[in-house]
Amino acid sequence: MERLPRGRHGLSREYIAEHQRARLFGAVATVLDSRGYAGATVSAVAREAEISKSDFYSHFASKDHCFLAAYDAAVERLRSEVLTACESRGEWAERVCAGLAAALAALAAAPAEANLLLVEGLCAGPEVCDRFRRAVASFAPYMREGAPGPAVAGAAPVAADEAVVGGVASLLGRRVLAGEGRQLPRFFPELAEFALSPYLGVAEARRIISAG
Amino acid sequence: MPPRGKGTQVGRAPGAAPASPRPALPREFIAQHKQRRIMDALAALTAEQGYEATKISDIVKRAGVARKTLYDNFEGKEEVFLAAFDAARDEVLRRVEEGCADAEGDWRERVEAGLGAFLGFVAEQPTVASMCMIEALSATPTTTRRYDDAVDAFVGMTRRALPEDDRLPDTTAETLVGGVIWIVYQQLRRGEAERAEDLLPELSDFMMAPYLASA
Repeated sequence: MERLPRGRHGLSREYIAEHQRARLFGAVATVLDSRGYAGATVSAVAREAEISKSDFYSHFASKDHCFLAAYDAAVERLRSEVLTACESRGEWAERVCAGLAAALAALAAAPAEANLLLVEGLCAGPEVCDRFRRAVASFAPYMREGAPGPAVAGAAPVAADEAVVGGVASLLGRRVLAGEGRQLPRFFPELAEFALSPYLGVAEARRIISAG
Repeated sequence: MPPRGKGTQVGRAPGAAPASPRPALPREFIAQHKQRRIMDALAALTAEQGYEATKISDIVKRAGVARKTLYDNFEGKEEVFLAAFDAARDEVLRRVEEGCADAEGDWRERVEAGLGAFLGFVAEQPTVASMCMIEALSATPTTTRRYDDAVDAFVGMTRRALPEDDRLPDTTAETLVGGVIWIVYQQLRRGEAERAEDLLPELSDFMMAPYLASA
């Protein structure tokens, strides 16, 4: 994100502040990606964002505050992509597929953010880990809503929505860690099958995915 | 904060009289026993207050050993953690292998037995399970890698236990293990580890779903 032009530009304080915050969030992701949590110092982040350290501290009390805010913002951006894709679809299975495809595309398009969300979210400390846990758990209701009953007679997939979301997040994190972040969309068919199978059975899941 | 779990065996308080006259024990046995107490103390403390906040002085006090004893056996806090993690990981792998080997019947019984062994461990030792599945993720970069490697080991084991199916993608075992771990992790965070075995039916169904035809 570009720095604002120097000198008088007649932009409101609020606009400038928002712009700086957005640049800081991008900078956190970039610096984390290249240096890891320990290396993501306030200096490094401020430098990447092209703002002064004192301006950094006018936004955030510490590196951790900035980091957590950046994390939350990244989760909401991803959520917005997923929900936008879902809302245009009627059938449950189509919604799940659309949401999944949108998530993969969004993550692949922003590898530093994907790293922030899925990798750093687990290993950068208990507070962020908690954010990660709550973020993943918050996607489970999207799976649950409108889902059909159990696929296998007698089986109640009570935890299926959580297990699916957790399994997908885990796999994506491992792939991003392995440097395959840009190729995430190619996992769509197998992840869609993984997501739909507990509810519809494998055969029906495959039929829907190949038709869609 | 991680939930307070049931403690594992911790050392007797210093100064407590032995219950009966001590037999002469070989050095190694005594050293291993003390190492065990130190590792158990670390597990209990990280469950209570987190890895970061746990100091060497906390560990030696809880374990009832001298500071020197800890440093005779371990380089520092991280090494205690890694030793405790490795011991727990090996124990779980052993139990899961045994469960699968003892299972009579087809792959379904194997999966259920293996999963049951894992959940049994979590229910029986929630403190250690929390250390391995919660704290290890973020304690240090080395513990994170240990955790990832342990997950790899479980993915490999799962792949071997599940039936071969060319139509299923390579990532099946990985996503299934990821999902199971996630559910158990949530259970640990909620402080409900003692009921982990209640999850067996639905987690078994979840693991078998990709391999079974629809109803």
